[in-house]
Amino acid sequence: MALKILSVDDSRTIRLIVTRAFKAYDCIICEAANGEEGLAAAAREKPDLVILDVTMPVMDGVTMLGKLKDDPDLKAIPVIMLTAESSQENVLQISRLGVRDYLAKPFKEEQLLEKAGRVVPLVKKAA
Amino acid sequence: MNTTIPNLIDEVSDLLNIGVSEVFRTMLTLEAKPAAVLHDWHASGETLVAGSVGFIGDVNGVVYVHVTAGFARKLASRMLGLAEAELEGDEMVNDVIGELSNMIVGNVKSRLCDSGAPCVLTIPSIVRGQNFKIEPVHSCERRLLAFRCDADHIMVELLMKHST
Repeated sequence: MALKILSVDDSRTIRLIVTRAFKAYDCIICEAANGEEGLAAAAREKPDLVILDVTMPVMDGVTMLGKLKDDPDLKAIPVIMLTAESSQENVLQISRLGVRDYLAKPFKEEQLLEKAGRVVPLVKKAA
Repeated sequence: MNTTIPNLIDEVSDLLNIGVSEVFRTMLTLEAKPAAVLHDWHASGETLVAGSVGFIGDVNGVVYVHVTAGFARKLASRMLGLAEAELEGDEMVNDVIGELSNMIVGNVKSRLCDSGAPCVLTIPSIVRGQNFKIEPVHSCERRLLAFRCDADHIMVELLMKHST
């Protein structure tokens, strides 16, 4: 069964890059443009992994992560934060909220796949 | 961060030099090489695209990343892995330039925070047009940084506010 990955980022560019990164793998990518839409998508889709931006309008990634971890139905979903803000304080803050890993922007698709592969079993699509 | 604005703006300029090269290399596999600032870096009347992201906190400033509209389309095509004809209008191009600007300034912001000058980033915005220039108010210090990617130019403009 295909893995379901939820990409939450206000940048369409990043959502397209995430989708492209997993193209060769047996994954379904769902998208949301902010934390509020991301929470709704997480409740609806029950993804196997969330790839979450930090700075977004409406609801930022840190707030969404906190709400996800407060929800008994969603708190087990692993989250990888994708952030342009990788200061030590930021990284500490998101670690405390139970994030599984983080990736600082700029990033290479291989780095994202490597991090994701440590959290969920990525299987290449049959040729 | 216990330093004066002239020193600080030099430090931020250095961080931008590193950030631009790193972002272009990682996201676009392009070498953005520091170059001399040219005032005729684009043809008169050529459409320009500028991505802008600010940082607010113990240090305050804004960074504009200027490129020509033609180069912006090339960058979007390369970053998204799409042919230029597949780019839907200006929206996808604007989003790419906004995201590149966000990564460049995010890098600077993280290093400022780590060196004791906490600040937050603003949401990226885009200015698109012909023959426009950014005019700083008198309380701002300004630096221009130029880069070349082969024949194309990137102009990075940094404005920083004096502490009160």
